[in-house]
Amino acid sequence: MKPVFHMQQLRKKHEGKENQALFANVTAEIADPTVIALLGVSGQGKSTLLRILASLEHADEGDIGLHNISQREMDPRLWRMKVCYVAQQSVMLTGSIEHNLKTVSLLHRIPYEDKLVNHLLPRLGLDHLDLSKSALELSGGEKQRISLLRALLLHPEVLLLDEITASLDRSSKQMVEQVLQEWHQQEGTTMIWVTHDIEQAKQISQTVWFMGEGTLLENCSTEAFFEQPATELARNYVQAPSVSYKEDPCPF
Amino acid sequence: MSILALSFTLLFVMITMLVSVWQKLGLERDIAVGTVRSAVQLLLVGYVLQFIFNTSNPILIALILVLMITIASFNAGKRGAGLKGIVWKIAIAITSTELMMMGLLLGFRIIEATPQYIIPISGMTIGNAMVVSGLFLNQMRREVSASRGEIETLLSLGATARQAIQEVMKRSVKSSMIPTIDGMKTVGLVQLPGMMTGMIVAGANPIEAVRYQILIVFAFTSSAAITSIILSLISYRLWFTKDLRIRLIEEKG
Repeated sequence: MKPVFHMQQLRKKHEGKENQALFANVTAEIADPTVIALLGVSGQGKSTLLRILASLEHADEGDIGLHNISQREMDPRLWRMKVCYVAQQSVMLTGSIEHNLKTVSLLHRIPYEDKLVNHLLPRLGLDHLDLSKSALELSGGEKQRISLLRALLLHPEVLLLDEITASLDRSSKQMVEQVLQEWHQQEGTTMIWVTHDIEQAKQISQTVWFMGEGTLLENCSTEAFFEQPATELARNYVQAPSVSYKEDPCPF
Repeated sequence: MSILALSFTLLFVMITMLVSVWQKLGLERDIAVGTVRSAVQLLLVGYVLQFIFNTSNPILIALILVLMITIASFNAGKRGAGLKGIVWKIAIAITSTELMMMGLLLGFRIIEATPQYIIPISGMTIGNAMVVSGLFLNQMRREVSASRGEIETLLSLGATARQAIQEVMKRSVKSSMIPTIDGMKTVGLVQLPGMMTGMIVAGANPIEAVRYQILIVFAFTSSAAITSIILSLISYRLWFTKDLRIRLIEEKG
């Protein structure tokens, strides 16, 4: 059977340091739709990897594929509709909240799913919002959830989530986790979720990808990873007391 | 004006030189070069124009216009350094603007089809189109860099290049037109435009001079709009790579 998603021998140079690799030999395959927690200490290139998977940056070497079709062979637009990236720092487009939610429908001339939006808004703790209000006036956490909802309306096959709960309070975070878990079950969406919150990783993911020493160091089931990490680095990471620290956001 | 009277204008240059020496500005060399260049260039243009006006050869007129557009395109192209083929695109935008302007002006017999009218008015239109093109490219460079998040958000949602950059383009077109529109609002109040002043000094009736100036002001506004919009439409793809990622163009110089 064709894997849902694969990446093979990905390599990315450090920006400004031509000879030094940010990461190399990053290889993994996703056989069936799943939720993956992408873990690792700061500076390993997790965000960069997600941006490469979303075709927003290019890898210096290697190949990425969806159902065995290479990213290079696919129209980048089509790719991004199927493999959608939600940034850590969510950007609201100028206009109302409703305009932001309608972006996908406007871009692709498809009907706006107002029923789905009305169903998901309260579940994301956003039912108090006046949708005609300017999206730029939203708080960081509200922007984050609106941008997630905006991406869900695209119904991608693979969702790339870059620390999307970093600016949320506990209860909003739990709401997002629950909505995404249900979404995964109903839609069969594969999720690659960068997080620094170990509790979150344990709860939401079935698989862990752990990045360290400039590569994808571990790729195993979440249970196995937390019970018996194979590498010293992962052991230290799992046992580190500060489990839910935030790193500097990727500037874009 | 007699040659003697003209040579007295060198006094202005001397004043500038003295200020530069006195205040140690170190501009003497630049002033000297500028003086010689402006005098030589303008005298040369004067003789060329006199020759063309006398012969009224359409090929010569066309040649002059092509030369103007070429120089204007290269000059504005500096603002788009790093964008492949930008000089050509500017040339297309300016030429389209010039053709449209001249088509209207001559078609409705607003001006006579003689080099005396065609060349100076074209010169001003092309010059303005050049400034607008430069402003547009400068603004695009800034906007694309500042709005990278917005553009990438749209790209992430499967937008085409045009959809992703539409708002940025609109803002840049608007910003490139603002100086022309502001100029339109204050013309005659803050300063008397060069052409009008020139005509009045040369003995034309001020009302007649004003009529031509109004023509120029209106023509400038529409030429600014046309140039900027055409340039934005034919150049927006240059801000993206082949695989539809943003291409950030560093400012040079």
